[in-house]
Amino acid sequence: MQSVRFSRSPLLSQRLPAWRQRLLLWLLLLAFSILVARSAYLQGFHNDFLGEKGRARYERVIDISATRGRVTDRHGDVLAVSTPVKSLWAIPEDVALTPAEARDLSKLIDVDLREMNHKLASERDFVYIKRQIPPELAERVAARKYGGIHFQDEYRRYYPAGDVTAHMLGFTGSEDAGQEGIELAFNSQLAGKTGSRRVIKDRRGNIVEDVESIRPPREGKDIVLALDGKIQFLAYRYLQQAISENRAKAGGIVVLDTQTGEILALANSPTYNPNNRQRLVGAQLRNRALTDTYEPGSTMKPFAIALALEEGKVRPETLIQTAPGKLTIGTATISDAHVHGLLTVSQVIQKSSNVGAAKIAGQMTPAEMWAMFNSLGFGSPLKLGFPGEVGGRLRPAKTWKPIEQATMSYGHGISVTLLQMAHAYQVFARNGDLLPLSLVRIDAPPPAGTSVFSAQTAREVRAMLELAVQNGGTAPLAQISGYRVAGKTGTSHKLEGGVYANKYVSSFVGFAPASDPRLIVAVMIDEPSGGKHYGGDVAAPVFAGVMAGALRSLGVAPDAPLAPLQIANAELVKEGI
Amino acid sequence: MAQAKSSGELDPLLVWSALGLLLLGLVMVYSSSIALAEGSGFTGHRSNYFLLRHSVFLVIGTIAGVVAFQVPLRLWQQISPWAFALGVLLLLLVLIPYVGRSVNGAQRWLALGPANLQPSELMKLFAVLYAADYTTRKLTDMTSFRRGFVPMAVVMVLVGALLLREPDFGAFVVVVSIAIGILFLGGINARLFAVLLVVMAIAFVILIWSSPYRRERIFGFMDPWQDPLGKGYQLSHALIAFGRGEWFGVGLGASVEKLFYLPEAHTDFLLAVIAEELGFVGVTVVVCLFAVLVQRCFAIGRQALLLDRVYPALVAQGIGIWLGVQSFINMGVNMGLLPTKGLTLPLMSFGGSGILANCLALGIVLRIDWENRQLMRGQQV
Repeated sequence: MQSVRFSRSPLLSQRLPAWRQRLLLWLLLLAFSILVARSAYLQGFHNDFLGEKGRARYERVIDISATRGRVTDRHGDVLAVSTPVKSLWAIPEDVALTPAEARDLSKLIDVDLREMNHKLASERDFVYIKRQIPPELAERVAARKYGGIHFQDEYRRYYPAGDVTAHMLGFTGSEDAGQEGIELAFNSQLAGKTGSRRVIKDRRGNIVEDVESIRPPREGKDIVLALDGKIQFLAYRYLQQAISENRAKAGGIVVLDTQTGEILALANSPTYNPNNRQRLVGAQLRNRALTDTYEPGSTMKPFAIALALEEGKVRPETLIQTAPGKLTIGTATISDAHVHGLLTVSQVIQKSSNVGAAKIAGQMTPAEMWAMFNSLGFGSPLKLGFPGEVGGRLRPAKTWKPIEQATMSYGHGISVTLLQMAHAYQVFARNGDLLPLSLVRIDAPPPAGTSVFSAQTAREVRAMLELAVQNGGTAPLAQISGYRVAGKTGTSHKLEGGVYANKYVSSFVGFAPASDPRLIVAVMIDEPSGGKHYGGDVAAPVFAGVMAGALRSLGVAPDAPLAPLQIANAELVKEGI
Repeated sequence: MAQAKSSGELDPLLVWSALGLLLLGLVMVYSSSIALAEGSGFTGHRSNYFLLRHSVFLVIGTIAGVVAFQVPLRLWQQISPWAFALGVLLLLLVLIPYVGRSVNGAQRWLALGPANLQPSELMKLFAVLYAADYTTRKLTDMTSFRRGFVPMAVVMVLVGALLLREPDFGAFVVVVSIAIGILFLGGINARLFAVLLVVMAIAFVILIWSSPYRRERIFGFMDPWQDPLGKGYQLSHALIAFGRGEWFGVGLGASVEKLFYLPEAHTDFLLAVIAEELGFVGVTVVVCLFAVLVQRCFAIGRQALLLDRVYPALVAQGIGIWLGVQSFINMGVNMGLLPTKGLTLPLMSFGGSGILANCLALGIVLRIDWENRQLMRGQQV
């Protein structure tokens, strides 16, 4: 390499001119100042546009689910509650479980190994491995840190009382929406409203920043039912017992508070466990007390007689000739189970004479009777808001033939629901008026009822209904120690294809204490086939058991001496069917 | 430009600006890589994966810089051709299948035990050394096209071809800039230089249009919002990062773009994360530190020239051109001023070879400065 001393080189000042260095340096500094200007433009002036683009990339609006309200009974005991659960889901592509891990997981969450492997081998982007597992279990799965397996927060509806309150409460379906019962009737209040939040998510979908609340979730409201848990349990238990003893197909029971119109209990059989609804059949789901109508039979008699009393056609002691136990109207013949002969109006109720009731009803016009039935609430739904509620059949008065008017007086040719029947009996339990029924607890003083009969008529019929329960009546088994009871049995043939078949609906509707009624209990047993089919045999004991327990649980003062009941030997008077 | 102070052994502005960039780089590499490191299998989900590696690189780089400082410029000049030859050899090695490692379709790395060596980063330094040595030797031939320009052009075409073969278009641009810059400073004929620039511009256009890979990058840069989820994806996210940062930034660590949205956040697009977290202020500080660095390199070179030391002068200013051009291109790419190239931000981006080459270069510049001071005191070097 040549070593030239540049200080001696004459070319130096020309070869490395200082302007070139300066030019290059200034060019570079100019480039840097362009960067600063560009940065200022991007960050100080164009930032709105860029920020908007950024928000479009990573801001997401997510739903914040609201908790569904609880349903409690009148004392605040929880009947339906949403509990947090986790659902296990996976992106099959991301899951890489060793056979041992897969076995371990399937055992832990109790899912068939082959079924699970099948799901994880699918082409889909999203599969549920198991839905609604308890949070503790989900934590144990999460601790194992399997890749590709994720958890989703959900709520599961839990019904602590299970099948006891099944028909009353109904249940929720997917998305936590009410599908039956109270859950459906009060869905808009229970459901609450899903809120939403704006968040920033990273590219993998994790929320990294909470930006703002768009709409806070509105939690569902709690519903306090009129239902009394203890009475409901009593009603359910006695009903189930009667169904199995009488080998009946089905049955229903309703308990009302006469002072407020509140529904204290409502149960049906067959029923189901709302917490485990696999293998559910339609018959179990039917809320018979509201959605099924039946021909009520003799429980209807007091209404026709009350109308006759009200209109002054008869007095309680007016004599009616029921011999020879048959009455022919047109081509049809009405008959009694026994030939009773000459009966007072009170005895027509006590002995449940069809002929007597038909003769009394014959004194009224169809329009008068229709108006009475209509004002009692028959023929149209009670409008409780309960899903599937029906009104029963009450044909217009113009189409009534005399024989139909006669049979309707003892509860044939007209159909009602059990709840309608209990509702109508308020006119006797109260002093001739009706309160609207309520599913929810009434905290304010109840509204004034709509009057149907005078208090005088109500008192007179009440006395007759008391006779029916006493020895010599159709339902001595409805008696309760310590309380005076009033009520009426009903036994009717079932209509099958328009013909009365040899199948029965046995019922009893009554109230107590008779001196100052507090509760109405209506019981209906469908197709008892244990050898007994009279309402006094089948339904009355259920009434007695529930009424006795309910009155004691409410602390209602007894109105009769606490003497042992004398019904062991009392012969039950067979009512006309 | 006679700013050199007689007191002190090292140029304080150069040292502080370089240290500032290195340390700010370390912090930002950590910040921008946490999410990536934590969310990736290859890092073992350790959030400090890149921080630890970058720290090791800084230590190695500092040692290398200190060693480079010990070497007299005379010796550097002697080994310049050999260093350049070594660089070419490494560039050849990288292209041999199974020897060179390929990442994302570019074969740029040589596996060296725990770390990878990127020969193109070292080549930038070797290009400075070689071009300075060449120009010094051919000082009297600089006006001649055949003797002054052609030999260098032939060498650069060879190196350029090797770099484009990887491909490493960014390194190619930097190496060519260094060569032309040093020839320009060395006094190449002005008319010749003008012709050269025109030829280069035409060559660039041809290169860009001949390769779909490069063309794609060009289109993404022209209008990233036309295909923001495809070709314009990376740039659109870099611009969003700038926009989000506004004047004062969203705060250290608070970047959203680094959360898997912006690819290469800890390497090529580190400035975007700086812009988002530290805002316009942060970007301006970085740009100013680079401006100071480049200005000091030029000033030291000028001082060397006043002391009749042509080779050290060209080396110092060549390093200034290198750091200036590379940082400008990187930052320009981040801001959407230039097409996406795949160049790191000198002294800051994650990457061992880059840090090593930058530290070596700074060591040499400081050595030049030190030798200048010695000479001004009348001592020998």
